[in-house]
Amino acid sequence: MMDLLYEFTEWLRTTQLVELSLWIGETWLSLIIVTNFWTIPTVQTIHILFLGLAFGAVLMMNLRVMGVVGGHHSLTETSKRYMPWVRWAFLGLLVSGLLLIIGEPVRELINPIFWIKMGLIIVAIVAAVLFQRAVAGQTASSASGGLKLGAFAIIVLWLAIMAGGRWIAYAPV
Amino acid sequence: MTQATTIWTKLDTSAFGDFIATSGWAFPTIETVHVFALVTVIGAIAIMDMRLLGWRAADVPVTTVARDTLRVTWVGFIIAAITGTMMFIGKANVYVINPYFLAKMAMLALVGLNMLYFHFVTWKNVDQWDTAAAIPTNVKVAGLVSLIFWVVIVFLGRVIGFTLGMFF
Repeated sequence: MMDLLYEFTEWLRTTQLVELSLWIGETWLSLIIVTNFWTIPTVQTIHILFLGLAFGAVLMMNLRVMGVVGGHHSLTETSKRYMPWVRWAFLGLLVSGLLLIIGEPVRELINPIFWIKMGLIIVAIVAAVLFQRAVAGQTASSASGGLKLGAFAIIVLWLAIMAGGRWIAYAPV
Repeated sequence: MTQATTIWTKLDTSAFGDFIATSGWAFPTIETVHVFALVTVIGAIAIMDMRLLGWRAADVPVTTVARDTLRVTWVGFIIAAITGTMMFIGKANVYVINPYFLAKMAMLALVGLNMLYFHFVTWKNVDQWDTAAAIPTNVKVAGLVSLIFWVVIVFLGRVIGFTLGMFF
């Protein structure tokens, strides 16, 4: 596994991403971020807080589908209530995430785990859209076994994305 | 000269402490589970606090929001406490002299007091403001204090990661 990740890194080193990273690293914004000790921890904190908002809402929606919480509201009501949280938090995650890339471009862009995380995020977005459609078609107050399994899978997918975020720091480079 | 071995050194040098400190995967793995747990706590608490402040879900009774979020919050908090303790044991001596760690522990104690006061005093007459359009000021203050303190706790936690070993 580690060897595979290392080979991925080696390949990333042969791409245009290297020049792109170096170029980003010389921009004024990147220089501001790296020269101030507090910027990275602060932006990471903001990233984690938005993650909390997004994941809290994702948990509430999916645990509702699984029948663990919120039986007082229908599936559609629950997703209507929490989807705005996910959308706004996603915007916050995107902006803070971009700042982290600009601040430390080589650490992120020449990192196999960063790209695995990006891949998982795309999977999560596609899964969310498909799942929303499946849930919207439900009129019954409790979800079918298949939907419950889907809800569980979406929570696991989010956990995998978060794990990717943490392991960016530990990638074999 | 003999120096008494402190409890922190005992933790550091215990078999478990040694394992956390020297294993290549243990610390990052525990840290990852700590992230899972803390975002769960933050997310669930934010939903509750924003309801107490009247910013979100004003049409849902406070007791309903509490029932939905409380269990999730506690499960998250217990896992965060366990994983946090595990990370601490690995480098107890380094943590106990880190000012950000000490500040975080103090903030956790304060946020706990805020919660206790809310549950045992403010919550007593919840039936009067459960669905009320106008939320009492003390309820809003409890929500705002919790929200602000948790933001600071996350920040301090993140800073610990950047300052461990900087203090002697």
